[in-house]
Amino acid sequence: MLSRRTRILLAVLVVASLTFVILDLRGGQGPFASVRNVASNVLGGLERVAATVFSPITGAGSWWSDMRDQAAKIDALQTENDSLRSELQTLKNDRARADALDALLRVSSVGQYRFVPAEVIAVGPAQDFSWTITIDAGRNDGIEPDMSVINGQGLVGRVLKTTASTSTVVLIVDSTSAVGGRIAGTEEIGIVSGTGRQDELEFQLLDPMADVRVDDALVTFGSKGGRPFAPGIPIGQVIEVAGTPGQLTRVATVRPFADVSQLSIVGVVTRPPREDPRDSVLAKQPGLVAQPTPAPLGGASDTSPASADPQQETAATPKPKASTAPEKETVATLQPEPSPSAGGE
Amino acid sequence: MLWRQALIVGTLILVAVLVELTLLSRLGLPGATPDLVVVTVVAIALAMGPTQGAVAGFTAGVLIDLAPPGDTLLGVNAIVYLAIGFITGFVIDPRDRTVPILVGLVGLSAGAAVLATAALDTLLGSDRVSWEDVPGMALSSALYAIVMAPLVILFTAWLVRKATPEVLVV
Repeated sequence: MLSRRTRILLAVLVVASLTFVILDLRGGQGPFASVRNVASNVLGGLERVAATVFSPITGAGSWWSDMRDQAAKIDALQTENDSLRSELQTLKNDRARADALDALLRVSSVGQYRFVPAEVIAVGPAQDFSWTITIDAGRNDGIEPDMSVINGQGLVGRVLKTTASTSTVVLIVDSTSAVGGRIAGTEEIGIVSGTGRQDELEFQLLDPMADVRVDDALVTFGSKGGRPFAPGIPIGQVIEVAGTPGQLTRVATVRPFADVSQLSIVGVVTRPPREDPRDSVLAKQPGLVAQPTPAPLGGASDTSPASADPQQETAATPKPKASTAPEKETVATLQPEPSPSAGGE
Repeated sequence: MLWRQALIVGTLILVAVLVELTLLSRLGLPGATPDLVVVTVVAIALAMGPTQGAVAGFTAGVLIDLAPPGDTLLGVNAIVYLAIGFITGFVIDPRDRTVPILVGLVGLSAGAAVLATAALDTLLGSDRVSWEDVPGMALSSALYAIVMAPLVILFTAWLVRKATPEVLVV
């Protein structure tokens, strides 16, 4: 049972509340109006303080929705950005491919090589120490083993084996690769062999007395029938010469023109030119150091100075040259010519 | 059960080979090409056991040698990967499957693969191997493998559990 005091207290409180209710029910400016005003002012102030303190938590609802709005916006922008970027990338890609093809066309038109363009689709793992790539053209495209592979910069390698739709190319930097090279503007020839490093070739001169200097450019001297190497393709530039003239073997280090680690579009030379283009391809290479003796150009009949205009060159390219099979010719011009200007005739 | 395992192994290996040759090797990363194949072989060995690891390694080695532009001796990689698949499946203690150990095992395998392949190639008369580059290759291959390992191991384990739940993994 409740104590007497408690019962009294309860009763008082109940009555008081009932009184408040009744008085308030009457409305208007009752006796409590001013009390109420003061109380609500004080409490209101406190509430505002509390609200400020708790705002990070209570505001979570709107904060969250803001976030989601922003997230949606970011998503939309991101999507747009991505699509723009991929478009840009594609453009860049297309541009790069077009440039590569352009360069390839320039080389092939000056040198009058007929080639099949192809794209690199796979590269051998570096730890195999073999520099081989797969390209997306094969037997069905007229590719056969031992054809030269070029790009806009110069010689890339030769076809090793083919399947119906792909070919394996062994690059000139592979240590099993050996190419017959000639110092441009001269008749000095030698063997350019791969070292297994992507930016180094080794050039062994056949004539130990030959004069070879840093910055000399090398072109292929061509194999019989243009296989595996068509003549006149730029190979690389001498960056270091070891040994002195007269030594038993003279070796020069050569940096290949073609960056074999960055290959994308290459061309497979299906038919070498009828005439050795000599150094004409090299001279047309943009960004190459000028050859000391550029005079003897003109192995190919239509490499007049007028065709220096790239447009003209490209336009002139696709016409099928050399409709008569040039099998009879021996392209390798090993015999020294009396004067460099006789090249090509 | 057997054919499902075979299917998993075959698919994983094929994908790994393709990705390695057409994507990873073209990234132009310094040193070795990230050897996704050896990572996958080890992952299979860890998830399925030494026998399956050995089969996977063999298959992978044959595939990567066969796939263009492979111009190395056919079978060298097969032997190396087979050994790696078996050994990793064999030595791993089921009670010891902590991430650092597994990842370290993968790195070790990748480095060992480079060394073993180079050694075998040299023994078999290939003059391509330039030994001064081998340590760098082994090291970079190990590093790349360590980076790829967690994802490949987890994915392979998940796939194996999913596809062959009845097989008790060793």
